[in-house]
Amino acid sequence: MKIIIDRFDGKKKYESTYELTSAEIESKTLLGVLLLIKQTKDVSLNFTASCRSAICGACAVRVNGHSYLACDTKMEELLEEYENPESMRISPLNNFRVITDLVVDWEPSIENLRKVKPTITPKSEFSEKTGCVQTQADVDAIKKQWDCILCGCCASECNKLEADASDYMQPFVFTHAYRAADDSRSKDPMIHLKPAIANGLWNCVHCQECVDRCPKGISSFGDIESLRVMAMKKGLNEGMGPAHAEAFLLDMVEGDGRLNEIKLALRSEGVLANTTKLDIAYNLMKAGKMNPLHIFGGEKIEGHAELVKMVEAARKAEKEGTIK
Amino acid sequence: MSNNKEFAFFPGCVLSQAAKESKMSLEAIAPILGITLHEIPGWSCCGASQAQCVDPIASLVANARNIALGEKMGMPILTTCSTCMLTLTKAKNTLDKGAKDRINTFLAEGNMKYEGNTEITSLLWVLYQNLDTLKAKVVNPLSNLKVALFYGCHSLRPERELTKESSTNPKSFEAVVEALGATIVPFEKRLDCCGFHASYPAGKSVRKMSSQIVGNADSNGADVVVTPCPLCQMQLDIYQERYQDENNSNIRKPIIHLSQLVGLALGLSNKELGLDLNIQDATRLVG
Repeated sequence: MKIIIDRFDGKKKYESTYELTSAEIESKTLLGVLLLIKQTKDVSLNFTASCRSAICGACAVRVNGHSYLACDTKMEELLEEYENPESMRISPLNNFRVITDLVVDWEPSIENLRKVKPTITPKSEFSEKTGCVQTQADVDAIKKQWDCILCGCCASECNKLEADASDYMQPFVFTHAYRAADDSRSKDPMIHLKPAIANGLWNCVHCQECVDRCPKGISSFGDIESLRVMAMKKGLNEGMGPAHAEAFLLDMVEGDGRLNEIKLALRSEGVLANTTKLDIAYNLMKAGKMNPLHIFGGEKIEGHAELVKMVEAARKAEKEGTIK
Repeated sequence: MSNNKEFAFFPGCVLSQAAKESKMSLEAIAPILGITLHEIPGWSCCGASQAQCVDPIASLVANARNIALGEKMGMPILTTCSTCMLTLTKAKNTLDKGAKDRINTFLAEGNMKYEGNTEITSLLWVLYQNLDTLKAKVVNPLSNLKVALFYGCHSLRPERELTKESSTNPKSFEAVVEALGATIVPFEKRLDCCGFHASYPAGKSVRKMSSQIVGNADSNGADVVVTPCPLCQMQLDIYQERYQDENNSNIRKPIIHLSQLVGLALGLSNKELGLDLNIQDATRLVG
């Protein structure tokens, strides 16, 4: 089969095509194929790799537009995924600056990690004598996030980063922010939470690509959700993101039980900003898809009083600490 | 679908408001395909992947209640909204993986109980599982119509929650539209995100994302973009003119619901399918 690799020599982009026999591919990982090409076909091909054991994160690349950790991806799995194609395209990670061939620049990502202070500032009650002990439950709460190996697969496929990285950090940065903020030994979650909010916590587009691409099964989207919940609990609810999310909850519980689209728009960005969207509202009303009288509320759903009772019982239990 | 398939129908909020043509077209195609929809009485908003960021326990309880209401009807739950499907499925997974007893103590406040015995599915998935029947009902093969298929994130991802098919190389949508006889054009943006869920906080990025999707469909020669997700349809249709203007693009493209495309192949009229309600003119797709 043909392996097409996207190349870059520092000045221009080009591609190289390598013909591999079935025997050359058989029983190999994706990294094994890259090494074979470098060792037997083209010594000029550049890529990074180190541990070969899925713990250093250095060898992530894209295949047919999706990111994979090369050492942890068997060629037979790839062939099955893409139904035995005649060719495969290997490219550098997306949303990173390419240095050469499949090698990308990690420095901006490390700078973002620094912003959320991913190391622990311990609580003042800890000392050299008493130590810094955690319960097993506390460890379990952040165990998964510790698995992040900084491979960049999640960032590579992130739809928000692709559109605009200027107001959003890499998904794994939010994972590390959450891991530090939720660590029971940490002095103050705000140390990590505030820079996460300032660097785009509410700008995630919910595409879930980070969840599907992580070779370690970590959900950065889930960590973003958890950071948002933490922010709301701590009263950090300024801005359009929190207002938009809260509007759904209000309609679901305190409102009629279903979303009120007119109120949603007003609650999310205010009356003034909505005056610039009157043309869109007019189009919707003309098509019978928006009822202006809905602003006064609609009919409560059947069983709404019971729904409220259920939610209140859950909130009470949560407040009393009988559930986490 | 040859035998009558009955479903507990979860419309989701958008189907009664800005995407009401999605419900109209679904209700128009259902009887032809042998599908009977029984709307779940008293269903509530699923939280749309938003309320979960404020009050996860309230959202989980509300969705446990939604599923329990469907369970009482003794039939699988069907929704056409991908975000509703993902949100309900995630809630079901959480309940089935250990939260069931705890959440049932709260549902008991309304004399309800989540059992965990009901499947949650989508229109796309039901059609995919019944391709032969679908094909047999086509009276107006759409071979002259060049369509770009836009899955929408929550039809596919996260794969480990939805477990229906590969999110890297999915096939269901293509198979369904092939059964309708339509011509599928290549479409690099088919698995991308329209940005709907961040359209308020990350407006600038989202306008760019949506605009690129319409532009990519056009450059591949598509007459129309079709999607199984009413939120994607809304995002790409309602705001298209404004987004395209902002991105200096003259391209305008009809964006239709999967149920509308199916309806066209089944020989239904524009009016029956609510195609006259789409903001970008979608009434001249079939001559």
